[in-house]
Amino acid sequence: MLVVEAEAERELALCEDAEGSRQTVDTGIVGPVQAGDAVLVHAGTALTVLEAAA
Amino acid sequence: MRFVDEFRDAALGRAVAGEILSTVEPGRHYKVMEVCGGHTHSIYKYGVDNLLPENVELVHGPGCPVCVIPMGRVDDGIAIAHQPGVIFTCFGDMLRVPGSDGTFLDAKAQGADIRMVYSPLDALRIARENPDREVVFFAIGFETTAPSTALTLKRAKQEDLRNFSCVCNHVTIVPPLRALLESPDLRLDGFIGPGHVSTVVGVRPFEFIPVDYGKPVVVAGFEPLDILQAVHMILRQLGEGRCVVENQYARVVHWDGNLRALEVMSEVFELRPHFEWRGLGFISQSALKLSEAYADLDAELRFSAPGVRVADPKACQCGEVLKGVIKPFECKVFGTACTPEHAIGTCMVSPEGACAAYYNYGRFAKEREVV
Repeated sequence: MLVVEAEAERELALCEDAEGSRQTVDTGIVGPVQAGDAVLVHAGTALTVLEAAA
Repeated sequence: MRFVDEFRDAALGRAVAGEILSTVEPGRHYKVMEVCGGHTHSIYKYGVDNLLPENVELVHGPGCPVCVIPMGRVDDGIAIAHQPGVIFTCFGDMLRVPGSDGTFLDAKAQGADIRMVYSPLDALRIARENPDREVVFFAIGFETTAPSTALTLKRAKQEDLRNFSCVCNHVTIVPPLRALLESPDLRLDGFIGPGHVSTVVGVRPFEFIPVDYGKPVVVAGFEPLDILQAVHMILRQLGEGRCVVENQYARVVHWDGNLRALEVMSEVFELRPHFEWRGLGFISQSALKLSEAYADLDAELRFSAPGVRVADPKACQCGEVLKGVIKPFECKVFGTACTPEHAIGTCMVSPEGACAAYYNYGRFAKEREVV
């Protein structure tokens, strides 16, 4: 999912998937994220920030 | 979409399939287990198995979180859901998992307030909105889902939400793999390692498989090209006489996993001495319960769950499917008495279950093969 808007203090982010569905995601275990970051989300929690291959 | 489209490229897929064909030794039969139910789903959804040579067989493993929940745990959940004032929440695929006397959906039809949630955070929101009700979250899943539950329980604690609690059914992936590897009736050449679990635990926990059992492991992503490449990497190791853990899913999985997730999990959970797996029996230290510090949020303690053990239905062969001993279509009730609409076994209920994947994507191809 792509981060649309991040709320650092509450460790939450509004994210959008490929179909355009949006959900609030807990970012507590990935640290600060910003709009445009791609995150792997499972059960409402971002597990990792994806890295593009070099 | 970035990170998705490039891993579904058909031309690249055919090219990797060609590489696989040139890597296999003629006359040798290869059996590779995909541990995770997500892989099983992708394999049949995208027809990955049709791109493999006939002597490369994919075997499905125990990594479907819904499939491994025994009937007794469902019965415990239903007993809690029926208690007065309780709002019982769980993921959608749990709703149709049969217990000994029906499913959560049946209990809902009988009047229990059971609600589907997409994440434990949704359950927490329901608790905030209903301060006069007890809100219980039925947590399931491997290490992929456990951090989400752990973070939610931490938030509940921080907010002092005393009407929220959790039935913890989280399981861990290494003990069942070890149990499988110890099984005398299993012949495998290698493993496609679970990509999303590895996001949390890292790649290191799988190093015992090549070291102790001499089988290569490649942790892989869930797109068709990921799976094809993982199969190729396993076959290449076998061909070159190597046997190590490799990480195909480096864009997502770090070698050491997510240390913050592991830290939160170790604060909120502790290992259960034993846990019953559907079809696999009791496996030591293979599941999580809430730690002492979070025991006040443990629904099993708060509601005195009955904890009754229920044997699997005799007709159901989910255990053999989960161990990779039989293919779903070899089960006596597959597609007849057991369908996604009226499932007898859990492997037919969950979208990640091998039987559901076969039923949804592969059964017509199988019928054509028979004809």
